[in-house]
Amino acid sequence: MVSKETITYLCRLSKLEITEEELVKYELQIEEIIKYLDKLDSVTLSDIEPIPLERNFYQLREDNAKSFESDPLGCSKNRKDSFVKGPRIT
Amino acid sequence: MSKLYNLSAKEVNTGIRRREFTAEEYIFQILERIDKVNPKVNAIISIDTEGALEKARLVDRKVRENEKKIGPLAGIAIGIKDNICTRGLKTTCASKMLEGYIPPYDATVVRRLKDDDAIIIGKLNLDEFAMGSSTEFSRFGPTRNPWNIDYVAGGSSGGSAASVAASECPVSLGSDTGGSIRCPASFCSVVGLKPTYGHVSRFGLIPYANSLEQIGPIGKTVSDVAMIMNTIAGADDNDQTIQVTYRTPDYVFSSKGKMRIGLVRELTEGAEPEISKRIYSTMNLFTSLDCYCEEISMNYVEYALASYYTIAMAEASSNLARYDNIRYGFNFAPDGYEWNTYYAKVRSNFGDEAKRRIIVGTYVLSSAYYGKYYLKAQKIRTMLKQELGLLFKKYDILIAPTMPILPFKFGEKRDDPIKMFMIDIDTVIANLAGIPAISVPAGFINDLPIGLQIMASEFQEQKLFDAALLFESKTNINRSPEL
Repeated sequence: MVSKETITYLCRLSKLEITEEELVKYELQIEEIIKYLDKLDSVTLSDIEPIPLERNFYQLREDNAKSFESDPLGCSKNRKDSFVKGPRIT
Repeated sequence: MSKLYNLSAKEVNTGIRRREFTAEEYIFQILERIDKVNPKVNAIISIDTEGALEKARLVDRKVRENEKKIGPLAGIAIGIKDNICTRGLKTTCASKMLEGYIPPYDATVVRRLKDDDAIIIGKLNLDEFAMGSSTEFSRFGPTRNPWNIDYVAGGSSGGSAASVAASECPVSLGSDTGGSIRCPASFCSVVGLKPTYGHVSRFGLIPYANSLEQIGPIGKTVSDVAMIMNTIAGADDNDQTIQVTYRTPDYVFSSKGKMRIGLVRELTEGAEPEISKRIYSTMNLFTSLDCYCEEISMNYVEYALASYYTIAMAEASSNLARYDNIRYGFNFAPDGYEWNTYYAKVRSNFGDEAKRRIIVGTYVLSSAYYGKYYLKAQKIRTMLKQELGLLFKKYDILIAPTMPILPFKFGEKRDDPIKMFMIDIDTVIANLAGIPAISVPAGFINDLPIGLQIMASEFQEQKLFDAALLFESKTNINRSPEL
């Protein structure tokens, strides 16, 4: 059972502001989605392990910095001089 | 001059090389065509007129001066899904969160297309961040199905399939996380390929679910799709999931004689009766062509969708965490806001589907539920992979419908997430297992297109092309609707 409180909590964790109207709508929809995902409970998989995608360290590329020809922060709307402005951190 | 916009990519390339027409003449016709039909279908969301004409002139100069280094895709107009970065050209993911984002670099696939002298014509519509199966979740409005504009084009690469069907470009790139290339290809009666995971670089693809998604081509013919695949596939230092040991072959078609084909019973029987009937008749066609066909059964199919959505939403919630509206985004000054409040406020501008996936993804990854959902989903993925591994020892390819239903009308499923999810049932298997799959036009029911899906084992795209080409050559299915 997914309650309004759970949704509010999840929104706080994922930093997502939603309206009261959305909360009502999502509660029903998410309840239904989770119920569908519960289908996973009906299968026994105790001996199975997930297959990880692994790569040895030597197979990775060198960690060298590469520069962009143009300004990678050129799209920020919040520029001041050569800085990017952000909200206050308290 | 005849209608150049109706030519296949291959014909365009040949025509330009033989100087039957110039790339510039061709691009002018393409731009005219876009002007005429795009207001009806809404497949292209930004057009690069100047860039396309400039490249066309460059191609023409190369042809005129008999340069040796004329790329294999010279002159071919191609559209790019708007979640693939194009340097200097707006890339929005159809989201307000990336409004006005102009990437400072090209995705590897885009760079390769440019190096091979293809002409990028514009950016194509999609569901916001590629999350959806109907392109109804785009902030630029839905893409309409060129066969009947009251119906959806499928998704999430709706723009990529509809632009090809509407002859706005002969080929395009899409991305496929759970069917996002194959679904719209099927709904729009064009060919769409989801390559093997690790076959095409994802560098520059704005991520949604990294362990599932691949970039792939869409075209009107199987050979056009193979032609684009030859350019985009292969090793890339910027994508560590590419299997570097694998050498990409040139996909030239080979008739290898008898193919062993398995028809997946669960997927075929689960489709609408008329679609199911058509797919069974496909089996008869292949049998008459000297292929060995039989029906097969898969045990874990019924858990695939729950496994897929668990993994996809978990990865989505993690990927979308980066959007803070500071480095890119829309105009909303942070002055006076505290960090958490600002972050939550700007993120309220995600659309419905993205928000739902962030919330559910956060839920399935939370410590209390991780074992119940995410871990189990990954285990089912293993089971599916093993099951398919055994099947591919016995069969060269597996066939099934691409979509279990026909294209539907706008709004029919938009507010019912489960109904929308269910239509991905036939396509998610290839993403979970990382295998390649292609959708080829298989005819029409009530004037709406259906698609045949063909799957093969990892890196066996050649088998897909051989089977798809054989099917294409024996069926004569319309790919160009009147618009």
